[in-house]
This record gives sequence, C-alpha cells and structure tokens, in this order.
Amino acid sequence: MKKVFLSILAFSTLLLTSCSSDDEGNNIDPIAATCDDGIMNGDETGVDCGGANCTPCETAVEAPESYSFERDGASTVNFSGQTTRLLMGNEILAALSDETSTDTKIQAMFAHAEGEMDFEDADLNASDKNILSKTAASKDYFSDNTADQSLIRKDFTDWISAQVSEVFPNWNTAAAPGTAGQIADGESTRYVNAQGLEYNQVFNKGLIGALTVDQAINNYLSPEVLDEGQNRANNDAGTVEEGKSYTTMEHKWDEAYGYVYGQNADATDPNADLGADNFLNKYIGRVEGDDNFAGIADEIFQAFKLGRAAIVAQDYEVRDAQAEIIRQKISEVIGIRAVYYLQQGKNALAQETPNYGTAFHDLSEGYGFIYSLQFTRKPGTTEPYFSKAEVDAFLMDILDDGDNGLWDVAPATLETIAIAISERFDFSMEEASE
Amino acid sequence: MKKVWISALLAVLIWACSSDSSEDPIQKGEEEQPAPVSFERKSMLINWADNIIIPSYESFSSSLSELQTNFEVFQQEPTESNLINLRAAWLSSYKSWQQVSMFEIGPAESVGLRLQMNIYPTDAEKIESFIAGGTYDLSLSSNRDAKGFPALDYLINGLGENDEAIVSKFSATDKDAILAYMGDVLLNMGDLTEQVLTEWKSGYKDTFVNNDGASATASVDRFVNDYIFYYEKFLRAGKMGFPLGVFTGNVLPENVEAYFKADVSNELFLAGLNAFQDFFNGKHFGKNSEGESLASYLDNLNELKDGEDLSVLINNQINTAREKVRALTPFRAEIENNNPPTAMFSAYDEVQRVVPLLKVDMVSAMSISIDFVDADGD
Repeated sequence: MKKVFLSILAFSTLLLTSCSSDDEGNNIDPIAATCDDGIMNGDETGVDCGGANCTPCETAVEAPESYSFERDGASTVNFSGQTTRLLMGNEILAALSDETSTDTKIQAMFAHAEGEMDFEDADLNASDKNILSKTAASKDYFSDNTADQSLIRKDFTDWISAQVSEVFPNWNTAAAPGTAGQIADGESTRYVNAQGLEYNQVFNKGLIGALTVDQAINNYLSPEVLDEGQNRANNDAGTVEEGKSYTTMEHKWDEAYGYVYGQNADATDPNADLGADNFLNKYIGRVEGDDNFAGIADEIFQAFKLGRAAIVAQDYEVRDAQAEIIRQKISEVIGIRAVYYLQQGKNALAQETPNYGTAFHDLSEGYGFIYSLQFTRKPGTTEPYFSKAEVDAFLMDILDDGDNGLWDVAPATLETIAIAISERFDFSMEEASE
Repeated sequence: MKKVWISALLAVLIWACSSDSSEDPIQKGEEEQPAPVSFERKSMLINWADNIIIPSYESFSSSLSELQTNFEVFQQEPTESNLINLRAAWLSSYKSWQQVSMFEIGPAESVGLRLQMNIYPTDAEKIESFIAGGTYDLSLSSNRDAKGFPALDYLINGLGENDEAIVSKFSATDKDAILAYMGDVLLNMGDLTEQVLTEWKSGYKDTFVNNDGASATASVDRFVNDYIFYYEKFLRAGKMGFPLGVFTGNVLPENVEAYFKADVSNELFLAGLNAFQDFFNGKHFGKNSEGESLASYLDNLNELKDGEDLSVLINNQINTAREKVRALTPFRAEIENNNPPTAMFSAYDEVQRVVPLLKVDMVSAMSISIDFVDADGD
C-alpha cells in the first residue's frame, strides 16, 4: 500500500514537471530528472529541454556571419533566375535609351522566349525566363486579380511603345510644352514626351515595384508560397529538390533574396557593393545614404539572413517574423524615394528660373516610384500601402494641372501627394526629402 | 502489474497536458473522446461511382454513337444540312465529354483519356498531312494533337470560311481521304470510351469503392487530388488562363477550346463547371436527387469558414464564377477584341477564387494532402 501511495506521489510530481513552464526539477522520478542534469540526454533536443518530458527549448535561431548556407559541403543558395531577369532588365533599359530600337525589338526583350536572339548576352537568349510573366505576378496580390495584372502589364508594354512612337522620332528636337524631345538636366540630356515625362524612367522605377518588390515580398516571402504543398514536411525532413542541394522552401526564400541582391558581386555579403543594379538594390543604397535612414540596408540583409537560417532550423515563426521586417523595410524604401523625388522636383521648379530638365527627371522617377507603391505591403496585412486606385489617382493628379502635364504641374500638387504618402508610412516628409 | 502502471501513467500524462482543461478531466479521459465522424467515405464512393461516374460515361458513350450516326449520314450525302446536323451532334458530344473529363482515375487514367480526346490547339498541319499521305497511327502519343474533339472541330468547322466552302471540300477529289480520316478519329474516340466504361463496370468500380480508407492511396484522397487538379489545370487554366496569357503575359486566342467553331468555348467551359459543381454536391447524373458528396462530407464535419458553411461558400463562389462567365461574349471574341480583355480576366479571377476554398480549406477539413503544386517558380 505504501508503494502505491509513493507511486501516486511520483505521478503527480511528474505531471508538474512535464507540464510546468520552468524545470526546477524534482528528482523523485528518474526520467524527469534528466531535465535538469545539465546535459542533453534521453530524447531531449537541447540541454535539459525538448523531447517528451522536458520543457520546449527556447534556443534562438542563430544567423551565420554571411548569407552562406550549405548541405553536405555544397552551397544551397541559388537565385540564378532572378539575376537573369535583372540582367534582362538592364538590356531593356539600354534599348529604351537607344533611339534606333524598334517597338518590336523591345517588346520581344520584355516578353523573351527561350532561344530568341533578343539580347546581346547569349546566356540571356538561351534562358527560358522573361520579365513580362513575372510582372505583377505575385501569388498574394495577383493570383486572383488577373484583371489588374493585365492592366499593369499593359502599362509597361504601352510605355515601351510610347517611347518608340513619341520620343524616338523627336530625339533631336528640343522639348517644349506639348512637344516631345530632349531637354538638358545639368550635364545630362533627358528625353521626354510631350508632357515632360521620361518613359524610360517610369518603366524602370515602375518595374522596381511590379517585378522586384512584388515578387520578393508578395510572392516568395509569402507563407502561401513557402509552405505550399509539402514544402514544410520536405523542409522538416531535409528532402531536397530532385538533383539540387536545397529544399524547395530554402529555394523560394533565396529567390526573394535574388530579386534584392541578384547583381551584387559577392552574394554572401551583398552590402559590400550596395547599389550594384538599376533596380531595388540601387535604391536601398540611396535610402541608406540618407542619414535619417542609415542602417536600413543592414536591417534588410540581417532579416534575410536570419530568416534563411530559421528555415534551416525549421523555426517558421522566426522565418515569418523576418519576412515581415523585410516587407516593411522594402515598402519604406519605395515610399521614401517617391516622396524624395516629388520634393526634389518641386524644388527644381521653384527656382527663379525653373529648372525643367532636372525637375522632369526627378518627377519621372517619382512617378515610377508612386506607381510602385501599389506593390508595397502594410505590416500584418496583405494590403499595399496604397491601392491601385489611389496610385492611379496620384498619377493623374500629377499630370492634369494643365494641358501639358509636368510643364504645368503646381508645387502644391506635388506637396499634397508627398504629404499623403509620408503620412501613411512611419517617416516624415522632411526625413525623406533629404 | 508494472506495465499496467506505466500505461496508467501515460494516460494520466496525456490528459494532464491536454490544452483543453475546461471539463472534468476524469470524464474527458473516459468518455469525452472527440465525437467520431459519422460520415462514411464508402457511401460517398458508391454514390460517385453508381450515380455519377458510370451514368456520365454511359451518356457520353451514347453521345458518341449519335455523333457516329450523323457522321455516316454526312458521309453518304455531304450536304450543308447534313453538315449542320453533324456539327450539332459534335457539339452535343463535346459538352457530354465535359461531364466525364474530370474522372481521370483508374481506367481513364491508364489510357490517358483526357489527352487522347481533347488536346487543343489541334495540329491542323499534321491533320492535313495525314489526310494527304493516307497513313497514320492514331494510337501514337505524338499524334494526340491530331485527333479527338479538336481535330473534328477543324474538320467540321475549319476547312472553309462558311458551310458552302466546307461542304465543297467534300465534293472535291480528296473527299474520301478526309472522310476516312474523320471516320478513324471517331472510331478511336469510341474505342477508348468503350474501354473505359467497360472497365468501370467489370471490376474497377469495386476496386474504387472498396479502397475506402483515409490515406494518400485511398480512393477519396486520390480522387479529390485529381478533381482539384482538373479544376485548376483544365477548367481554369486550359479553358481560360492559357488563352488569356495569365501565365505568360501574351494572349493566345488560338488556344481557346473549339477555336474553329469560335463561339462555343464558353458553353464548353460552363458544361465543365456545371458538372464539377454537380459532382461536388453529389447530384445524380441526369436527375435532381443527390447523394453523399464532398458537400455533405463538409457539412458532416460542420466545417465553417468565417462563420459560414464551407460547402455553401464553395457553391456560392462557383455560382459567382458562372455568372461572370455567362456574361461574356465568346472567349475568342473577348480576347481578340479587347486589349486587355478585362471582363474575361475578371471572370477568370472569380473562377480562380474557388481554388483556395478547395485546395486549402476543404482538403484540410478532410485531412487530405495535396500531392501537386502549381509549378510556377524558377
């Protein structure tokens, strides 16, 4: 009888240790006792934690020094598809600034088909990737919104056509209100349409949102994509893709990384040459260069690195928390640059002799960044900071103060938009304007 | 004795650590097991096989016989009015096909029926060369794009600008070769269908119905995968998404189903969608009665999403999609006449919105794991 009583006592003690959140320990039961003996034993997954009997381990995921991850001695990081698209983007931008390019040629580059001789770089011609199919194509924003997707894609193809049909014929004409042509911006020459807008800038800055931001934060960092199908089970089991060194989930994360860092010389330490592309990386660099936001580049990089380490450690909460940081910071980069260019343009127009060339260049970049706002993401939501309708309204406002677009734009119009944008973000208009 | 104690200990541990502590623990341990699901997967499988799948194949098979009859009349007397009758029989059978296309499991899966019957766009050049050369083997997989309904679409609707021009092809010197080819295509379709139907009736039905467990290889799990795959790949993407260029950015009007007939793609889509929904609701083929189904399974599980019955949400979303598609002009015209074809994109979006309800919410309620992904990475 005494024995039975002791056993009951043992159960109740065991119950306490097995469910309590601390493991003060009670040495009556030999199994429970391993939870505070200072070594990893039994089925513990860490020292005195994890397994069936001890409290869960609370070890933090540790990020490595650089973005370097291996399995069986081979790197598991690959984002060649993203680098390919960024390189295609570079050639398209060059073609948009070459007045001998035809519409057919640039459209073919944009919608490249494998094997077609669209690019100078033979590797790009051999690739089965293109930019068009990844424009406004994220799972979270566009899988059931192909109506907007098709309108956005048409914007890009229309900008290409308009550059060729409106601006190229007037390449050697001086721009004037209502006349496309060239205009000086300090030592540079800019080529604008009849409304003062540079289509190639709009295309470029718009693509930062529609391709790089949208793909990175609304597609590859989305749990919808990271956890699709059996991705989690495969990642937990370390099951790699056929013929590859990485799990699908690892690869998806790296594809997001590739849209941000795909052209940096050292992929493991991309901030060493921050600003290496014509797209998002360049403007993370620009925002980093503003003292008000110094540190943002490192925050983004650290979050990518820790999130990737979390995937290796199968800690999906840490992963998703890092994705959230990346989404917010990258969205801020877009917002900050939109406000910055609006303010710069306004200042150039406010001079005693308005500096139209400089103003148009800034405002064209700003126009593209405003366009990109519809691909940003408010933390904790699946919504952008500004909807497509709001973006479209801003873009209309910029051009409709008079008959001739930017030639007629009022400073108050630009200021109003800059205020509206900064108010919705966590930065002030003053901070972004420097 | 010792063993008994260990078992008791484990049992106690399990209730002690359960997250639900609102009830008397002893009661919970002894009696309050989670209510066993009363739904019988087997009766659903029986309903599917007896009241939907087999009758659908029978109906499709007789529509093909009807088509064959009309072909023979046309063969004897290739007039415009006989062409019109042949075309009506073709359309009727094509719609009937939409009622069986989703059943790509068992016999249909082993012959690859869907791709034997309905690869589009069809290869008109290949068809012409077969007719001209007179030798071809329609059983080869490389020739699947030269037979089935799309090949008939070309031969019945695509050989000329209008009926007069089409019929004139059947009075010229190569008429026998064209008719012979049409006859072979029809024969191939009929043989494959008979084979599938016979297998269902002569054994596969029992295999299907008796494999009534809940595992990745059980009939329900497998078929639900096939069923959702059909919706995503063949209804949504094949009939609408590819022609719209959703995945590429370039519209491809020549990729609509029944391109040469030009104005029936929507009807074919809707026939598929209706059959899909009827199957979801367990509606008996050709009748108004219903039996055990995915919908009744969900209701039995009392599956709610945002406070509403999931089965109702799925039906509502399918209804919304149907309304949007019904309001469109023929797909080919939508795509060719609008840049971008926004109305058809909006309809596609409603069709797409059914997917997560099935592929995430429904399967997780039923503990079915999805064995395919929307392969669109790089």
